[in-house]
Amino acid sequence: MKSDDPHIKWIKEPELGLAGKMYLPLVAQGLTTTWKHLAKSLRGETVTVSYPDQEPAIGNPLIYRGVHRLNKDEQGRVKCVACFLCATACPAHCIDIIAAESPWPDREKYPEGFAIDELRCIYCGMCEEACPVDAIELTSLYNLTGRSREEMIFDKEKLLSVYEATKHTEPMQSPALGGTAT
Amino acid sequence: MLEVLIKSAILIGGIMTAAAYFVLLERRMAAWVQDRIGPSRVGIPLTNIRLWGLGQPLADGLKMIFKEEYTPGHVDRRLYVLAPLAILASAIATYAVIPFGSLIPPIELGDYKSAGPIQLTVAPGVDVGMIYVFALSSVAVYGVILGGWASNNKYSFLGGLRSSAQLIAYELPMGLGILGVVLAAGSLNLETIVAAQAAHGWFALVQPLGFVVFVVAAFAEAARLPFDLPEAEQELIGGYHTEYSGMKLLLFLVAEFLHMITASFLIVILFLGGWHFPVITGDPDAETIGWLTAIARLAVLHTKIFFVIVFFMWVRWSWPRFRFDQLMNLAWKIMLPLGLVNFLAVAILEEVRHVHGPDESSLAWSLAIIAVAWAVFALAWLVVSVANPLVTDNRPRRDLSPGEIDSQI
Repeated sequence: MKSDDPHIKWIKEPELGLAGKMYLPLVAQGLTTTWKHLAKSLRGETVTVSYPDQEPAIGNPLIYRGVHRLNKDEQGRVKCVACFLCATACPAHCIDIIAAESPWPDREKYPEGFAIDELRCIYCGMCEEACPVDAIELTSLYNLTGRSREEMIFDKEKLLSVYEATKHTEPMQSPALGGTAT
Repeated sequence: MLEVLIKSAILIGGIMTAAAYFVLLERRMAAWVQDRIGPSRVGIPLTNIRLWGLGQPLADGLKMIFKEEYTPGHVDRRLYVLAPLAILASAIATYAVIPFGSLIPPIELGDYKSAGPIQLTVAPGVDVGMIYVFALSSVAVYGVILGGWASNNKYSFLGGLRSSAQLIAYELPMGLGILGVVLAAGSLNLETIVAAQAAHGWFALVQPLGFVVFVVAAFAEAARLPFDLPEAEQELIGGYHTEYSGMKLLLFLVAEFLHMITASFLIVILFLGGWHFPVITGDPDAETIGWLTAIARLAVLHTKIFFVIVFFMWVRWSWPRFRFDQLMNLAWKIMLPLGLVNFLAVAILEEVRHVHGPDESSLAWSLAIIAVAWAVFALAWLVVSVANPLVTDNRPRRDLSPGEIDSQI
């Protein structure tokens, strides 16, 4: 690009006033800004969360996408009907369902085995959206740890126990399907 | 002999510990300015006692010691080892003449009896003290440039060159700042300079221009922001010590902190009155001294130094780094002339005071001298601001024809 190109717009730097040339306002400004933050931190208003001692505040736990759970109905049976919609929707292919004939009269199938590889999962929440009976949901549990890869494959019992652990703090989401959330 | 050994042991132990804890303070200050908490968890090893993170320097030191000390291939091995040693040795040796207190009363310990009040300087009464400090601070440049050269790395070398240029450029204004003090105190001996301030008022009041020049130069000599071009973490990945690891890196980092502590000592001793504070530090001319006064003087000196260091750290997060051309312009076009003006003003004022002035202890006369000094300060600052030599317009000139402009670019 030539320097006489008409598309170049030449801009003059704004002239500094005398105070600006003497550097004093800028020097004072810099020091005051940092002093304000320093004083604020010394009063204890920091943004840091000391994690293991202090739990971070997560927004709406009903929206948060953490560890999965398998919901139970009023009779304590697993709500899942083994339709495989969640496994089909899953972009990470981390859901493994073994379907079997249902022992109960109100549905045809139920999951004999239901395993989620929590390490493969990308926590996108598409299984939750796909589920027609609101059986699989993502909870607000975020501190997921384990000592081996095998341990991080959650089976049906583990997922049902997550439901037992979180059902009071996080009610099921759609009232039309037996959920209690309002 | 024994006295000197004990004093140097206390001093070296003290400044090394101080440097370690100032690293912690620096990290906490950085965190506070950025609305964080900072390192607050390491306390007593093997227990759960946290002590507000006071164990952090120990952990940092252990980490550095046990880290792999990797020597890159193709380095000049002798110079590579020599560089951190040179920089640390010169940084510590500076403290030989720097008073870290005033006097303490004579001590009797078993058979040993000291010959009089003990001066809290490792080598008391060195008449060329100031020159010695100045010479050793120049030796630090060798460490920097050797480190950059021996690393056999282009960026380290550029970092080393930049910092040696910077350190050499700022030694001039620093020297001019000191010259005014030396002229007014009539001695290069640091203890005498403090005594002169106790008698005639702190030099920061009497020579404000010299104070500003010296503080700016001290920031640059200690390579602290806004003059930390030698390191410039974001641009040079550490500059001259990029290729160093483990203990050798630790030596560089400690030396850098010692430079900052030295600079604070010098600012306090040369301009902020050293151990002197009105009323509480006793009669400055007295030959003997009680324990209470001795401790008060120690406390005053070290409190002042602490606050100067906190100021160093506060400034670090307040102002952005200078560009290299601005740095050089500031040194040669602003600080050097200001230093000369200060030197001239001090020379004239001292001459007037000694030759034409009335009784030296006259308060009105002293106040008049201070007023003139501040007027010189304001006027010089104003002239420099209006002349504005820092701004360089390096865009192509538009009044030239396109061909000429292209050849300029």
